[in-house]
Amino acid sequence: MIRWRNAWIVMRKDLAEFKKQKFVIGSIVAMPIFLGVVLPLVMFVPMVTMVPLDRPWDINGLLEIGNLPDDATIPWTNKTIQNGSFDSTILNHTKIQNTSLTHCIIDSCILKNTTIQDSTIQKSVLHDSILINVTVIRAEGASLDGRNILAISSDLRFIKTKPSEIDQVLPMMFNMILMIFIIVPATLPTIIATYSIVGEKNNRSLEPLLATPTTDGELLTGKIFSSFVPSMGATYLAFTLGVVLLDIVLIPKVGYPILPNLTWILSMLLLAPTACLMSVLACVLVSSKVSDVRAAQQLGGFVIMPVVLLMLGVLAGFIFLSPVMIFIFAGLYGALDVGLFLFAKAIFNREAILTKWS
Amino acid sequence: MITCERLTKTFQSVTAIQDLSITIPDGCIFGLLGPNGAGKTTTMRMLSCLIQPTSGKAHIDSYEIGNKADVQHIRKMIGLLPEVPGLYETLGAYKNLDFYAQLYGVPKKQREESIQTTLTNLDLWDRRNEPVGGFSKGMKQKIAIARALIHDPKYIFLDEPTASLDPMAAKVVREYILELKKKGNTILINTHNLSEAERICDSVALVKNRIVKVGNPKDLAKGLFTRTINITIKKIPSTLLKDIESFSLVSQAYVQGNQLILNVKNPEEDNPQIITWLLKQGLQIQFISEEEHSLEDVYLKLIEEANQ
Repeated sequence: MIRWRNAWIVMRKDLAEFKKQKFVIGSIVAMPIFLGVVLPLVMFVPMVTMVPLDRPWDINGLLEIGNLPDDATIPWTNKTIQNGSFDSTILNHTKIQNTSLTHCIIDSCILKNTTIQDSTIQKSVLHDSILINVTVIRAEGASLDGRNILAISSDLRFIKTKPSEIDQVLPMMFNMILMIFIIVPATLPTIIATYSIVGEKNNRSLEPLLATPTTDGELLTGKIFSSFVPSMGATYLAFTLGVVLLDIVLIPKVGYPILPNLTWILSMLLLAPTACLMSVLACVLVSSKVSDVRAAQQLGGFVIMPVVLLMLGVLAGFIFLSPVMIFIFAGLYGALDVGLFLFAKAIFNREAILTKWS
Repeated sequence: MITCERLTKTFQSVTAIQDLSITIPDGCIFGLLGPNGAGKTTTMRMLSCLIQPTSGKAHIDSYEIGNKADVQHIRKMIGLLPEVPGLYETLGAYKNLDFYAQLYGVPKKQREESIQTTLTNLDLWDRRNEPVGGFSKGMKQKIAIARALIHDPKYIFLDEPTASLDPMAAKVVREYILELKKKGNTILINTHNLSEAERICDSVALVKNRIVKVGNPKDLAKGLFTRTINITIKKIPSTLLKDIESFSLVSQAYVQGNQLILNVKNPEEDNPQIITWLLKQGLQIQFISEEEHSLEDVYLKLIEEANQ
């Protein structure tokens, strides 16, 4: 049974000590800002300035990319179409059911049991539909072969899609930046967390602390959160700054604040904290087992491997960070976090810490 | 009351302390004396529930050392001063003390008052927020002692409490320990400082990985040394030494200046006869005293015997 008050006291003490380490704070804040703000801006600013202004990323621009004939018409708005078949049509704000669409532009529609072929979809909701050779642009939601849509049903099938030029580049870059914001909170704790117990031992402050009526679980929880809080704080600070600056850079071209989208928000709320916690836990575990800060930091470096694997998977295109994927990985990391905590608690041995460390 | 029965701690093949059996009554200052590696710190750590005994039993009041259910109760009753102060050097004295007071569950108001009183007594109230890393060794030690006492524990374990202090500061600490005793605290001290143990301990145990001897510091010498009588005589004749050696009560005699030094088995019984005899010889006796053996003499003798 953990008395949270005790864990809170330990955390506050560690944070008070941490506040005195100006250089450590500097490195912890600087790292995510450099990787998550400065680096993306350096990449995006030239790219955005190179995109010609006469090719805005709107529906007119896409008409040139898609195979829509010149005589395309706009027959319906705010209507429900059922059991139809349409070719070379623009559909706006329409509910479509049991219908087949070919060579269409579909904008802000709700589609159910619909087969869409050789078309472009924007800002639409899809249920139980089949997409064949479809371009999906600037929409939110789950994965669509590298792009996003507003929402998605569980039975949606993708056979082949054709991305727009911009949408080929943007998601890739966004994924890369997003992965930075996930790997950074997993990296930062290696600076603080590895020091948490072995540092106390080196300062000879561990013995009086272990003699207090604080349980192993309370002590570990306090140590874990004292590393977790600054790591996530620095990450969220860089994330907020990065999102605002990227939007400022991209709005002139895109026309609206493109970030943060659902994937980014879910990643930052679920994936980044669980990845950070995993790293903290592993570092604290290592810290309670080795007697030297440097050894703890060296070993702590290995603990971010699961996060690195995810990053490599995403960047290589094997894993696409859809909301479902985020939930899966966050669940996986969360389970690992619980397992690591229980393991760290089980092997935390006051006697070994006091007597085996020289 | 603290009781230990055949308390033993072994680290793999090394026995730190074996069959330690002692009783420390409430309100007593008990000293553990012994050379480095004698098992003093191990004993203190076992009694603080920091390490588990390998065998034997120990109780603090009704709580059993090594019993998981009793650990939290025991830790609350104990204030521990380890060998080194182990303060958080980047934090101020106030925060150091406040952190421990909170962990021991001292209520806020009591905590604030207690810390203010302690730091004022230590002349540190004005420097309460300065990082303790900049303080002298002695000052750090005082803060560490204050930390051990911050929750007003019944039992106080002090591992070398005056080791890093100058004589004046050490005196202050010793006086403070005696005050704590007056308040009813029970104090266990590990020390190398034999004169300190002699001055403040009600009872001591000489340990060298096992108990060598336990008792009142003043009584430990009894039976260890031959008892020696110093008799100062105004003028010692040259034949006196030869005459007195034939005296059956005296096992050994020698003269140093105008002092006649005699080893006797039972001074309480033998002294009157010896004095009477000396007076009959027409000698003028100025002073008579028994040579006392310090705790250091006892310690060195016993540890030497233990090493053999």
